[in-house]
Amino acid sequence: MKVMNCPLNGPRNISEFAWGGEVKPMPDPASLDDHAWGDWLFLENNEAGVVREWWCHVPTSFWFIAERNTVTDEILKTYPAGELFKDRVNFAPKAEKM
Amino acid sequence: MLPALFPYKLLPYGFRRKYRPQRFIPKQKDLKSKYDVVIIGGGGHALACAYYLARDHGITDVCILEKGYLAGGNTARNTAIIRSNYLTPEGVRFYEQSLKLYRDLSQDFDFNILYSERGHFTLAHTDAAVRTSRWRAEVNKQLGVDSELIFPDEIHRLCPSLNMSDDVRYPILGALYHPPGSIARHDAVAWGYARGATALGAEVHQQTPVTSIIIENGTVKGVETPRGKVYANKVMQAVAGSTSVVAKMAGFRLPIRTIPLQACVSVPLKPFLDQIIVSGSLHVYVSQSSRGELVMGGSTDPYGLYSTRSTLDFKEGLLGHMLELLPMLGEVKILRQWAGMADMTPDFSPIMGPTPVKNYYIDSGWGTWGFKATPVCGMTMAHTIATDTPHELIKPFYLDRFVEYAQVGEKGAASVGH
Amino acid sequence: MASRLPHPFGAWIDRSKPVGFTFEGKQIDGFDGDTIASALLANGQTMISRSFKYHRPRSVLTMAGQDANTLVQVGDEPNCLADKRRIEPGLKVEGQNYVGSFDDDKGRFTELVERFLPVGFYYKSFHEKKTSWKAWEPIIRAMAGLGKADLTADFHHSYYDKQYLFADVAVIGGGPAGMAAALSAADSAAEVVLVDEGAELGGSLWYARFNVDGTHGSLTRAELEAAVAGRRNIRVLSEAVCTGLFADNWLPVIKDNRLYKLRAKSVVVATGSIEQPSVFRNNDLPGVMFASAAQRLLRLYAVKPGNRAVVLAANNDAYGAALEMLDAGLSIAAMVDLRAAVPNTDLTQAVRRAGVEIIAGHAIKEAIAGPGKARITGAIAAPVAGDGKLGDGGRTLECDLILMAVGYSPAAHLLHHAGTTFAYDTGSHMYRPDTVPAHVFAAGSVNQAYALEAVLADGRRAGWLAARDAGHTSGTEPPAPVDLGCDGVTHPWPIFPHDKGMDFVDFDEDLKYKDLINGIADGFDNVELLKRYSTVGMGPSQGKHSAVAAVRIVARETGESLNRMSVTTQRPPYTPEKFGHMAGRVFEPERRTAMHHRHLELGAQMMPAGLWWRPAYYGKKSDRDTAIRAEVSAVRSCVGLIDVSTLGGLDVRGPDAAEFLNRMYTFAYAKQQVGRCRYVLMTDNAGVVTDDGVAVRFHDEHFYVTATTSGVDVVYRQMLWWNAQWRLDVDVANVTAAYAGVNIAGPKSREVLKRVCEGVDLSAAAFPYMGAAMTEVAGIPARIMRVGFVGELGYEVHVPASQGEALWDALMAAGGLEGIRPFGVEAQRILRLEKGHIIVSQDTDGLTSVWEADMAWAVAKTKPFFVGGRSAEIQAKKPLTRKLVGFTLANESDPCPEECHLVLKGEEIVGRVTSAVRSPSLNKVVGLAYVHPSDGEPGKHIDIKVQGGRRVTGVVTKYPFYDPDNKRQEM
Repeated sequence: MKVMNCPLNGPRNISEFAWGGEVKPMPDPASLDDHAWGDWLFLENNEAGVVREWWCHVPTSFWFIAERNTVTDEILKTYPAGELFKDRVNFAPKAEKM
Repeated sequence: MLPALFPYKLLPYGFRRKYRPQRFIPKQKDLKSKYDVVIIGGGGHALACAYYLARDHGITDVCILEKGYLAGGNTARNTAIIRSNYLTPEGVRFYEQSLKLYRDLSQDFDFNILYSERGHFTLAHTDAAVRTSRWRAEVNKQLGVDSELIFPDEIHRLCPSLNMSDDVRYPILGALYHPPGSIARHDAVAWGYARGATALGAEVHQQTPVTSIIIENGTVKGVETPRGKVYANKVMQAVAGSTSVVAKMAGFRLPIRTIPLQACVSVPLKPFLDQIIVSGSLHVYVSQSSRGELVMGGSTDPYGLYSTRSTLDFKEGLLGHMLELLPMLGEVKILRQWAGMADMTPDFSPIMGPTPVKNYYIDSGWGTWGFKATPVCGMTMAHTIATDTPHELIKPFYLDRFVEYAQVGEKGAASVGH
Repeated sequence: MASRLPHPFGAWIDRSKPVGFTFEGKQIDGFDGDTIASALLANGQTMISRSFKYHRPRSVLTMAGQDANTLVQVGDEPNCLADKRRIEPGLKVEGQNYVGSFDDDKGRFTELVERFLPVGFYYKSFHEKKTSWKAWEPIIRAMAGLGKADLTADFHHSYYDKQYLFADVAVIGGGPAGMAAALSAADSAAEVVLVDEGAELGGSLWYARFNVDGTHGSLTRAELEAAVAGRRNIRVLSEAVCTGLFADNWLPVIKDNRLYKLRAKSVVVATGSIEQPSVFRNNDLPGVMFASAAQRLLRLYAVKPGNRAVVLAANNDAYGAALEMLDAGLSIAAMVDLRAAVPNTDLTQAVRRAGVEIIAGHAIKEAIAGPGKARITGAIAAPVAGDGKLGDGGRTLECDLILMAVGYSPAAHLLHHAGTTFAYDTGSHMYRPDTVPAHVFAAGSVNQAYALEAVLADGRRAGWLAARDAGHTSGTEPPAPVDLGCDGVTHPWPIFPHDKGMDFVDFDEDLKYKDLINGIADGFDNVELLKRYSTVGMGPSQGKHSAVAAVRIVARETGESLNRMSVTTQRPPYTPEKFGHMAGRVFEPERRTAMHHRHLELGAQMMPAGLWWRPAYYGKKSDRDTAIRAEVSAVRSCVGLIDVSTLGGLDVRGPDAAEFLNRMYTFAYAKQQVGRCRYVLMTDNAGVVTDDGVAVRFHDEHFYVTATTSGVDVVYRQMLWWNAQWRLDVDVANVTAAYAGVNIAGPKSREVLKRVCEGVDLSAAAFPYMGAAMTEVAGIPARIMRVGFVGELGYEVHVPASQGEALWDALMAAGGLEGIRPFGVEAQRILRLEKGHIIVSQDTDGLTSVWEADMAWAVAKTKPFFVGGRSAEIQAKKPLTRKLVGFTLANESDPCPEECHLVLKGEEIVGRVTSAVRSPSLNKVVGLAYVHPSDGEPGKHIDIKVQGGRRVTGVVTKYPFYDPDNKRQEM
């Protein structure tokens, strides 16, 4: 049972966490054409190597980011999401669409 | 015992003085610099494709490049269940064709793959599960596949070992019963295809990884290996567990996440379980092999990893629920556990056919559902490569279906994958 | 009664406590501390099991639980290791895998047709005709398998539990290396857990002969054991087996009926080594055992393994074993030493002095089988002429015991599990650890240390390093051992195939030398392929005695170098582990609402909803349909009460609350008035409908949002995930369990509620449909919402969970006059269906888009963004492939379709029924179904395939079916 070092709660058994997949910051969907949007949405890097991922400590509902080697399962570092997502995300108002 | 069923093929072994070996895999030759078709990967799907390329399309100048030992990937690690009781018409048609091919495989190969029809039960413990079972049963029946939604009395009659008590956390409410559900010896399927393909002229190269893919002007020209460059008119990748890694060499990505799928076996027991039992709600499945081992598995691991390592948590979760279904097994022992690497797709259907690279084909996205598709996958990919057109049966599984919002939703029918 | 050797033999048995049990019905007398195997041998019962394929008699091989030659059935437990299992009074032990009787096993006639059963024989035949395998499989299956599962056993009548343990340093193996490591780590003030399989600590110190007078082992053992006992920071777990080494040093340790889950900062693997056999004809029969097995029998259990022994030797330990046998009163026919020149050591000289003949440069060609193969009666020794080759001129030696002492292989399973790589050492002819992962240390013979002084030094050093790794240091690093003593301990080729076969490489699988050769010739020319084809190493002992031999044979046959090969992958568990241990007590959480007891008291049939229990209906199972219809009728005609506590509740608060909802849901919330409710529909980023509910605005900056019972936890996590990226000024709290809730519905519901609700004007004008208020009900702070899921005048009341029961009681009492009736999930499903309301995940599936679900009305048109919006845009451009519609039947006499009956066009599947019921309120069938888009308009006919394959005609019908103008819910 691996140990995950939660930035909020410290080292906990990995069974206390939910995996959220690779960190893929969402571009403003309005700025992508249909195909590019579909690519962003569905395609995965699925890297065999060090990946930046979302993890959630389920009992405390705390989402954070981990850098993990997906081949050796070594967790290199963990940090709060705010270190990567610093600014408020806004969406530009729509021109008349739909 | 009718004389016709006498195992007369064993007689020569007793009467000959010296053992006459039949090589399943010919001695490895030198790698040529060019082939008609290069297949990256040496598991069941790759070998089946090579076999059907030769047998059905006369394409024999085929080279299989396997980075490890033959069929040592997911083909060696799966729990060998074969069924066609899927949810979508596309899936049902596809897997049903596989079953048809499986039934004749031992005779085709002249090699016993130990194909054994056992009857497959997908237990439903909630209303939603009963509903999905009915959905599958109706689609199956409409397409001529033998499946039925049955209820506790009938389940008990067919499967007396199961715990049908109401005194459990999630009592069994019903089951999807699929009489043609079978098991087979997974390695034997690969070896049979290997022998068949190599007998017809294909070459198998083990311990030969592909390190890069040679592409010019959007068309694949060949691959590079530590033993030299190999050029080809067409290339196919069939590398479950390494799909994205190899596709990256070819310059494209897939909607795949690679997640370990664990399994384990018990110490062999005298036969007592004839059926294949699956519980989606309890996330467990079990069958008893012809060697007497209980072969057991559950859901995919909770997170992605490129490793075949196994865990204690897997066994704890699995056996806790297994003993709810089969409470007489508390004193039975686990002999060995292992894992494969499942390439999971968003809709639990495979990704097959052409890719953004011309003459480069892909067979992938096999998640937890790959072994049962071995024959039909080989046959359809061979057709696709030989004719440059996707076979009818695999058209729905095209790579672009995701961005085109045309997924083939099989999450309700992959045993316990989710 | 059996004869035993006198004291000091039998260190582990207590002769003052006799214990009796039965074996195959025969009475066996032993002592407390005996294992089944030692007691059987003491009573003259030599044969303990029958081999897998040929049903050959088998007996003790390792006396350490490392082999599978003594598997027996103990009560309801199959495949039990007789050489490890301690006897208890009244134990019922049986043999396994025999046809007829254990003594007269008809299965042994398989050996007669052995020549017709080559390696992989079941692949080569039984497929002659299509029906061949179907006919033969039951027979082969009956021949396969070892023990029997007892089908009358019940795990619930046993007790297995689990416990967590923590240690700075875990030491696995309590022999000399392990004890030295534990002491060394403890001296550095580390908290140590020492795990050992034996009844008492000591490992090989209990039975190995290190010096001529035989005292060195026991003195060393006593000293170490006393030291360990004296350390407060060493916790010893004896008769405990560690079956794996998992990520981050997570170790399962099984002792009695408990699974310990031990987390250690660092681990010392001091698991020793496993003695390896010689391959010769009949090397599997009773009487052939390892030297260490014979020594264990003498020293631990006071059992003479035989009367006259031949010792097959290739190292010094063999001579120690010989001295042990002589001390116990056995005679030794000869030492048959594989080495051409036998070194002069203290032990070899002592054996010579004792008058024992040493035949150098010879191997055993064949063990001579006695009557029925029940025991060997002699050994044929022949000169070694080359690797695997024997010259002419053998000698027959009379004996009833052959001790094999030709080498070892490290018991490195745990190291393998952890990812250690191994390299073949051409000096010692054994694999040694090459790169060991962080936080793991190897010590003792598993790490190539064989000389006792080296073992102790290796242990001391490993313990010190492990303690330092765990953050505890004291003194200086002990030096590495200088002379490991590993050279000359293992013979590189103790394999002598015989023309007549029965020269076993794998005892578990009855595999002979030529089986492997033929497998390689069939093209399976690497160890992994050979294993899978021949099954070498796949039996219960998982290759402990065959893996190395197999590697040697493959290397020899293929010309591959042992340096470039390794044994087949070692996987957990090290030794088989019971299902019961893994399952433990099986805790299954349940969630109950505050009104749970009221439901039971009212006779509810409860049903699972995720982890929760909810009332399905109230009444006896035999009255199910009547009860549900009565509940529906009560709601439609007067008033009903349903517990909705399980539904998700989320408090969304902050300046960005409305903006947050705008982004999470399809609808628009910025302009939602305070005191009003609005539908929420959630889609994921791929545009698939995933959840729905109602958002109540209690304040500009406070929305109370409901979600489905099974969806709320995921909805909540998703909300937090999105806001981790958006950084909006909003807080989301999952208050599902904090609130209990009811829905009181029916034309009389206002009157009933008024009686317990003074704080708010419930008149239609003041509290219209989709209104909300925070007030008190029956003196309990409450959130009241007028929502319309069941299509009648009704109010949803949420109160703090601790007051849920009080609320229920108050409303039930207040509604007495009107005959208020509790109603359950089944009635609610019908009521909502009569209004055409969807249930997400019943009427939608894993791919349903808002367009297919006919919910365009819930999609805001001008919001800049919502989750799923971009995908919905793309989906809107494509033609629909199916559409969710309401339907009724063309002929009321047709049967009501069931959920998931298919909608066909000709023979093509175009959709399915998602919900359908014969409506009690309307007395006709109503339902929802996916249909072909061309049939999506009211009045169109659809073709539904119902039970038995029959087709009925449905008519696409607008919904709501009941009260289409919604007057009743809006009154």
